[in-house]
Amino acid sequence: MRRAAPGSRVMSDRKLPRLLQTPAVLLLLIWMLIPLGMTLYFSFIRYVLNSLRRPEWTTPSLSNWRGFGNYEFVLNNKDFLFAIQNSLLIVCSILFLTVILGVLIAVLINKAFPGRGIVRVLLISPFFVMPAVNAVLWINMILDPVLGLQGLAVNGINGMIASLQNAPLVGWFFSLWPQLEPISFRATQTSAYAVIIMVTWQWTPFAVLIFMTSLQSEDQQQKEAAVLDGAGLWSQFRFLTLPHLSRPIAIVVMIQAIFHLSLYAEIEIVSRGNGNKNLPYLIGEFANNNIGAASATGIFAVILANIVAIFLLRMIGKTLME
Amino acid sequence: MAIVAETSRFSKLSRPVLAWIVGLLFFFPIFWMILTSFKTDADAVKPEFLLFFTPTLENYLNMTENYDYWRFATNSVITSVFATIFALAVGIPCAYAMAFNPSRSTKDVLMWMLSTKMLPAAAVLYPMTFLTKSLGIFDTHFLIVLVLMLINLPIVIWMLFTYFKEIPKDIIEAGQMDGVSTWGEVKEILIPLAWGGIASTALLCFIFCWNEAYWTVRLTTTEAATLSKLIEGNRAPEGLFFGRLSAVSAAAVGPIIVLGWFCQKQLVQGLTFGAVK
Repeated sequence: MRRAAPGSRVMSDRKLPRLLQTPAVLLLLIWMLIPLGMTLYFSFIRYVLNSLRRPEWTTPSLSNWRGFGNYEFVLNNKDFLFAIQNSLLIVCSILFLTVILGVLIAVLINKAFPGRGIVRVLLISPFFVMPAVNAVLWINMILDPVLGLQGLAVNGINGMIASLQNAPLVGWFFSLWPQLEPISFRATQTSAYAVIIMVTWQWTPFAVLIFMTSLQSEDQQQKEAAVLDGAGLWSQFRFLTLPHLSRPIAIVVMIQAIFHLSLYAEIEIVSRGNGNKNLPYLIGEFANNNIGAASATGIFAVILANIVAIFLLRMIGKTLME
Repeated sequence: MAIVAETSRFSKLSRPVLAWIVGLLFFFPIFWMILTSFKTDADAVKPEFLLFFTPTLENYLNMTENYDYWRFATNSVITSVFATIFALAVGIPCAYAMAFNPSRSTKDVLMWMLSTKMLPAAAVLYPMTFLTKSLGIFDTHFLIVLVLMLINLPIVIWMLFTYFKEIPKDIIEAGQMDGVSTWGEVKEILIPLAWGGIASTALLCFIFCWNEAYWTVRLTTTEAATLSKLIEGNRAPEGLFFGRLSAVSAAAVGPIIVLGWFCQKQLVQGLTFGAVK
């Protein structure tokens, strides 16, 4: 063991902590500032990867300054409006579904019952599935209208109805029933629904886990007092549990919003080339050639994420130093 | 007691039944993938073999031939392991300093670190492609390790910080009185005390690295391509290869799901940045 010199203790109180933080701070600073700075710069110049007519635009030089032209171009682009709208549709639907399902399931498994540990393990598993596998699994093996489980189920039900129609006595009744049509989840709008379904499946466990953690700190005495006062299950839930969960719900909403605004793998796998897109996907499309537009879209995405992030950070900041 | 009577009818039967149904429903897609992975490609799309079929291991045995699975898996392991090690190597000193010698700016620095995590990756897609290609590190293990480390560093520091904060300061100060060097403090006091916390941080970081699906797809082609890239590249088998695709998918997510079971609690802390307790 090395013995520290008397003077060095002073140093370790002041300078050393800062020194120990330096690598992390520096790395993150570079990681954030340089690419983001470049995006900001590219968003103000005309910059394309291939242009036969205007070869001068293929180098990112200041002489191609375009001001807010890229932003204007993006704002007037109907793909951009569609992507924003679609991003919001996907994110909001997922949030709505995961929070509702999350609260219900968390309340359901909050009390002890036989095999609770196993049910928890079963429930949490989807969260660890990598996004690419999630998307491939759902779109092919489950949602496919012909070969997936959906197709098989629809076929099976149709077959059942058909055989019932031939049955004596009740046949006339079932002949009034329609044949079911499988839904193709590879069309523009339906593939957004497919993404919503698969991400909800993956992230509901996350919501359940957080709500369950929070429910464990719920005031049981208060609850018992409420029961003695004659409060039913519903009013216990409505006036005690739900207010207790308000903060975790807010956090789940914000964290998921940030994650799902940059959803990419699922969109790429489910809807490549069918017109369904969100902001990150649109940026990827622009980035095939029009870097200026891709960068301007990127700045919009940053702004959108920041609106959510500010609220989230404020909330986390409050609990930070407790 | 009144409380027991009030809830017992629901608790006794409906709750477990309902809970089990929900649990099984959520697990079903994974179960289905595993089940399909034991069918031949031909059987996988035949309704008559939906549940009852002759199981086969051929999909797993042919994974290397069909998908070059082990190359991608090796890349995933290498990049995730090294990214985790480096994130810890950078994160432990930083979290140590923040927890035991906090200054007025510590809180702000922590919040700023988190905010870097909230930047949408797609916004910097082209600059990253451009930079890495001009530096000649595009599609290298080095790059993927670096990127995975950087995107997880805020969470690692944050989690370590919350663990370190719970260690009584007196212990560290006692060490200082005895004239232990800073390195000695970290090695002989901090790491043994916070071992559990460090291990679960590492585990969670590893899982996040393994499942990352933006940069690992966009910044690789063949050399450093991970399992995310492999699966993404086989997105639409048109029913021809359900069996083998299920096998390779199951092999890609199986180990991680099992690891995940062991860090459910840490997951809450790591993902909510300690805001939910």
